[in-house]
Amino acid sequence: MMGFVVRFFGLGMVVFLLLFLLNNVLTFWFGWPGSIAYLSGSGGDSGRNPWGVLQVGSYVVGLAAVAVWVFKTAADGMRGDAHGLNRLAAYIVRGAFWAVLLVGLADGVIAFLRVEDLLSGLVGEQLDKSLGRPQYRGEYLHFPLILLGYGVAAVYRKLDFSWLAILVVLAEFVIVISRFVFSYEQAFMGDLVRFWYAALFLFASAYALMHEGHVRVDVLYARFGGRVRAWVNAVGALVLGLPVCWTILWYGTNGKGASINSPLLSYEITQSGYGMYVKYLMAAFLLVFAVSMVVQFCAYIVHAAADLADEPDAVFEPGEAAPDGVDALEA
Amino acid sequence: MEYVFLAVLVVLMITALTSGFPVAFSLPGSAILAIGLAALTGYVFEGDIDAYFAVDGPSEWINAGVTNYRSLYWSVERDTLIAIPLFVFMGIMLQRSKIAEDLLVTMAKLFGPIPGGLGISVVFVGALLAATTGIVGATVIAMGLISLPAMLRNRYSPSLACGTICASGTLGQIIPPSIVLIILADQLSSAADQASAARKLDYRESTGEFAMPSELDIVSASAGDMFMGALIPGLILVGLYMAYILIAALINPKSAPPVHREAAFDRAFALRVVLTLAPPLTLIFVVLGSIISGIATVNQAGAIGAVGAMIMGSYRLVEGQARAYWPAILAVASLIELAVVIQVFDINVRLVETRQDLLGLILAMIGAAGLVIAAVWAAVRAYRINGTLNGVMLETAKTTSMVFIILIGAAMLTSAFRGFGGEELVKDYLTGLPGGFWTQFVVVMLVIFLLGFFLDFIEIAVVVVPIVAPILLADPEANITAVWLGVMVGLNIQTSFLTPPFGFALFYLRGVAPKIVKTLAIYKGAGAFIALQLVGLSIAGMYPSLVNYLPARISLTGETAPPAINPKLQACLQAYVFDYYDANEAALRQAVLTARRMDTAMLPAPDRQRLQQSFDAVDGTFERVAAVRRADAALAAFNPEYKPLHAEVRRIKRDMRRLEKRLAALNTERSRLARQINPDWRRLGDLDQAIIAARAARQALEGRIPAQWDAQRQHYRTLRDQQTQAIRAYRQTVDGAYAPLPVMIRAIAQAERVAALAPQIDALRRVVETQAGAASTTAIQAVERAVSELEGTGKIKSALTKVRRALKNAEQPRREQALTHYATALTLLRTEIDWRSAAAQSMLPALRAYQAALRGSIGLRLQPRLTGEQADYVAACQSTHKDLSLYF
Repeated sequence: MMGFVVRFFGLGMVVFLLLFLLNNVLTFWFGWPGSIAYLSGSGGDSGRNPWGVLQVGSYVVGLAAVAVWVFKTAADGMRGDAHGLNRLAAYIVRGAFWAVLLVGLADGVIAFLRVEDLLSGLVGEQLDKSLGRPQYRGEYLHFPLILLGYGVAAVYRKLDFSWLAILVVLAEFVIVISRFVFSYEQAFMGDLVRFWYAALFLFASAYALMHEGHVRVDVLYARFGGRVRAWVNAVGALVLGLPVCWTILWYGTNGKGASINSPLLSYEITQSGYGMYVKYLMAAFLLVFAVSMVVQFCAYIVHAAADLADEPDAVFEPGEAAPDGVDALEA
Repeated sequence: MEYVFLAVLVVLMITALTSGFPVAFSLPGSAILAIGLAALTGYVFEGDIDAYFAVDGPSEWINAGVTNYRSLYWSVERDTLIAIPLFVFMGIMLQRSKIAEDLLVTMAKLFGPIPGGLGISVVFVGALLAATTGIVGATVIAMGLISLPAMLRNRYSPSLACGTICASGTLGQIIPPSIVLIILADQLSSAADQASAARKLDYRESTGEFAMPSELDIVSASAGDMFMGALIPGLILVGLYMAYILIAALINPKSAPPVHREAAFDRAFALRVVLTLAPPLTLIFVVLGSIISGIATVNQAGAIGAVGAMIMGSYRLVEGQARAYWPAILAVASLIELAVVIQVFDINVRLVETRQDLLGLILAMIGAAGLVIAAVWAAVRAYRINGTLNGVMLETAKTTSMVFIILIGAAMLTSAFRGFGGEELVKDYLTGLPGGFWTQFVVVMLVIFLLGFFLDFIEIAVVVVPIVAPILLADPEANITAVWLGVMVGLNIQTSFLTPPFGFALFYLRGVAPKIVKTLAIYKGAGAFIALQLVGLSIAGMYPSLVNYLPARISLTGETAPPAINPKLQACLQAYVFDYYDANEAALRQAVLTARRMDTAMLPAPDRQRLQQSFDAVDGTFERVAAVRRADAALAAFNPEYKPLHAEVRRIKRDMRRLEKRLAALNTERSRLARQINPDWRRLGDLDQAIIAARAARQALEGRIPAQWDAQRQHYRTLRDQQTQAIRAYRQTVDGAYAPLPVMIRAIAQAERVAALAPQIDALRRVVETQAGAASTTAIQAVERAVSELEGTGKIKSALTKVRRALKNAEQPRREQALTHYATALTLLRTEIDWRSAAAQSMLPALRAYQAALRGSIGLRLQPRLTGEQADYVAACQSTHKDLSLYF
């Protein structure tokens, strides 16, 4: 029974999260009414929009499907789910890494060409003008690159978020050289460093959680046994970790003016004009952070529950590294 | 009621933290829980989710917290935080490639034979390299694993060995480059902003004037400032530690015996010493030096450090193999080439005009390419060998993430703390303490000391500093700088980490120390270092100059140095100049006497007059100075009588303001209650009584203001006004004495250039006589531009402009008029040429000598920059804390 509840909770929350994001896009980008507005009828005309049924229904159907699936695979135990969630979190972060890498390079090059007035000679006046508009650059450059990034991440696993560390170092080093040797300094160079550095610490968080990277006050924790630690981690993830992530998600997306939605909707860019056009994407970093952390916390809870239920460690797929949460929890 | 939830918040936080759940989520998690609980209870019992908040409601506070999540990386203001991953990368690279370990081992071999030499090496290396991770536990463990066995093997006394390791492991935290200092700087600069706002409000309330003069403002702290500020106290501590170990070894040779040297001190050993010591020391020196000299920002220095560490790692990792040093050699060669190229050519990619420029650019590109290739080569090597690069990157990502997620999480906690009125509570408590600022300071330091038993550096920096720092900084009595506060907090936490039985460092060292080392030995060893810490802490506390001098000095001559006229510099600049007058009055008077002998007959009348006034002003300066001093003395004589009275009244007024705030709150609640249809009469009665009591208390307080206050205050104000006027008169005099000189000298020095205008203007005659419209306009404008480049040629230019206007209409040029104005221009030019060339010959050197005599004193206020010697004086003067309370 406990297995069922825990698995339903973990998988259900992740499915709910993905539907929540999908619905956020539908509501604020495509003008659908949104579930709450539909249910409360508060959205005025759009509140009565029949698409609202689909939005509300998606949650019902999604959660029911999870329940059925968990019930059917009841014999499988919890470890498999935990590993699956780990992999999902890792994929979300890896895709975001590729997206940030590609967008950073491409947008950096374009910003350089634009500020040096070389772009129109290279791609023509028309395209130069279009690329000067944040919305165009977002839709025709960034979004395809982000999709490409997630595609690459699905097939190629060797490069991951940690490479952002050396990218930040090199990008800042390029600033050093160009400033001190060539007396050349432009806004986009600083933008690129900031873009990658923000991604570095926000994307690394999920990994850090699984690898004991987030410090604990371990005056007591160090003396706890395995079971007490599992309880601490499960309860902590439930009452402290998840609420933080959901607070970010909810307050960031609960309207057109919310702190994540609003820059995304308006393709916000920096004031300096000739910098990179990626500020709005940096708002989305928080989404990546919150989403990867929700998934990771769910994995954490399922792991801890499996420990508490004395479930034997499952056999991993060949070629995959040992799931790291296990040694972290049992260390 | 909000205080109940404040307590809930604190209890939740303590529970969450001690349970061992990651700090980064415990802090914001408990904040959100507490806010949620307060909103829910408010809704259930009062029907209002905002009811249990001091101000605003749950959404506002959560939104404030969530927005904070973004503000960390959203804009340029907090860019110095980018230095953190860079320094972490550098530190981990040095550690993983075993350069840090080599450094320790070689130092130990080198210094081993002197008594206590091994211990001294540990202190040195710990201070130098342990800083970069920012986690005390990790640092102490690493140091303990490397050096404790070595020290025990060489029969060091266990307690001395343990004490040394704990102390130098924690000391590294406050010696730059350290990420703790960067975080402290980040927190302190926003605290300084808040404190500045509070002080401005205070100024307005107590003086009734709207704008606070900027010299009364708070001195903030950047990351670079923090590095500078911590440097000298850190070095003092290193010195104390080393001296202690040396003395302990001399008094009791058994506790730290000299190590038998294993290898002879031959040439091979010397080479090895140079090869191991020189590169890391150079790197640290370059990183710190580029920040101290103001050449590079902290971030840029961090990148230099990270790449430098990578290049060093590249040869250490393949030690002994052929070609091991190639990337390093390439890097050094490129650097040398670049240094030469930059010296020889003035390179700017934007301005490549001559062949010379092009050559310089190409050479620079070769050098830059060499550097980049060396960096990439080193990275590839580190990637290939044992996956070092992967390890370093992962560790960097993990550590950075840990630091930053705590930073943003703590912002959420601070937001909740404010929401429940905690900040006001702390402020009221602290400012209500008897004894003024220093009691507050000691209490805060004690609290931080106790917290240091449970929390690491970063947590204290992000949780406690934002709450208490604005209160301490705002106090005009002590008027401490943010840097000094940061360094004191840092030293304090570090001492706390060493204090048994809870000290962090001891706890971690216990974990890695072999069983034969008794816990008591660790405690005993730490004891001596705690004493040294306290000595260091009191030195830095009593002589704030040690902390403040370097940051102040560097900001005075850096690239963005303020001009001498900056109001913040005036007090110290004046002190400097007054000293100068005392020593050099005769010389200045002599300079005027000499200058008066100049033949000024050829000067135009206004210039002659101005020069005359300048002479008189210099002679009059000394009377002005005396007047300022008299006013200062009068004020100083009154101060002892006035100051206690002022402090007392200020305290009473502050209490009155607090009562008024309470009264306002009570009145709002009463009117809200009274509006209800069926109010709670009992509560209403209570409120009425409370209001009456508060009014009476306020009355009583007002009565306690001494009767002589108004008269005394008036007297003080008069004295202060007299002082201000005296200073103003002095400044007008000296500025009047110096201001005309640079202009006049420039004008005279341009005699030849003015003469060179003659052919151009002569050539215009044909234009004026024959052309009109666009053609004449372009021609004349060209000459106008040439004319207006020079000093004191305004009249010629305006005459030419009139010529141009007269000819503007191509159809009907007013040629007559144009010719008249042209003639005027010519005459003007002739006069200018005449007097200037005459003056250039006869009086220019004397005038220049006169200017030079005034430049360092009477003309100092008008200099664009301070000289080194002046900056030394001003920085020293600014680095002491001055009591500003009487201005409020």
